[in-house]
Amino acid sequence: MTAAPYNYNYIFKYIIIGDMGVGKSCLLHQFTEKKFMANCPHTIGVEFGTRIIEVDDKKIKLQIWDTAGQERFRAVTRSYYRGAAGALMVYDITRRSTYNHLSSWLTDTRNLTNPSTVIFLIGNKSDLESTREVTYEEAKEFADENGLMFLEASAMTGQNVEEAFLETARKIYQNIQEGRLDLNASESGVQHRPSQPSRPNLSSEAAHVKDQCSC
Amino acid sequence: MEELLNEVVPQEDLERFERKYNHEHELDGEVTTETKFEYAFCLVRSRYTNDIRKGVMILEELARLHPEGRRDYIYYLAFGNARIKNYAEGLKYCRAFLEIESNDQVRSLEEYIKKQSDKEVAKGMAVAGGAALVLGGILGLGIAMARNKQKREK
Repeated sequence: MTAAPYNYNYIFKYIIIGDMGVGKSCLLHQFTEKKFMANCPHTIGVEFGTRIIEVDDKKIKLQIWDTAGQERFRAVTRSYYRGAAGALMVYDITRRSTYNHLSSWLTDTRNLTNPSTVIFLIGNKSDLESTREVTYEEAKEFADENGLMFLEASAMTGQNVEEAFLETARKIYQNIQEGRLDLNASESGVQHRPSQPSRPNLSSEAAHVKDQCSC
Repeated sequence: MEELLNEVVPQEDLERFERKYNHEHELDGEVTTETKFEYAFCLVRSRYTNDIRKGVMILEELARLHPEGRRDYIYYLAFGNARIKNYAEGLKYCRAFLEIESNDQVRSLEEYIKKQSDKEVAKGMAVAGGAALVLGGILGLGIAMARNKQKREK
């Protein structure tokens, strides 16, 4: 069932950023492995994950760079912002301070990525309703003011995790379709792999012949 | 894992943190732990072996003097050594880390290094095997020619 290598039309580069302990790596793990990672230790420097998704019948390989939230890595992980097509900016709905720091994360993102980079705000840990410190409405307003896409999600239950990653890809794909993204610029964070002239594929050819058969 | 190890630090970033390092050094002969680490983090991701070696040296010093950040230093010591194919050293650091903390990030680096190191061994054996074959071929040819000559002389 696994896809063959190069079995995709595009590569999109993502970064995941946000304060320490908001659940960046858990979101990535939930997205790539469909599992919740309990007792997740602090990421050292940067981690990497990948998954092939489908948008509009096009196969897209997401290459996701998951940065450490610890302050000591803040300056050095800025390298990874460059050429990101999508940025997932995460805060923890149960810790107000992680929400208050968003403007600083946003400034970094705006400064280090290109204008067409899609920024998606994720309020993680939506399963912990009883200890919530940031309301949905407040964050939604912040997102709207800054032109960000937004969802509350839970890496633990998996709620909205898939949606956040996929919505970002759909938006990037839409930008490509509408010509807002220059595929030839290395900064775009998108690589196009033109599909190779299809080799005669026995099974599909046979199916085709069968389709035409009037018997 | 491969993507992480193949990723190369942008030159301008390496230079920026090098300047910061040199600047502090010139100013008061001392460099802060933070700056040392930032510079080493860039060095071990360089495309040049000498840079990586230098990064490893800085990290070794940091790990010795500053236990509070040791997990980060040890991880990047394993990482840097893996990038210059010092697989034995790399594995040593992975194991040292895993003795203290169970960690999937380190475990996948360890697995990757093991795989690469096994590959190198197999490659070495293939080269040795290939050389034996070639040598065998030459010997065989020599014997055949000698026999031929003998036959003709008869």
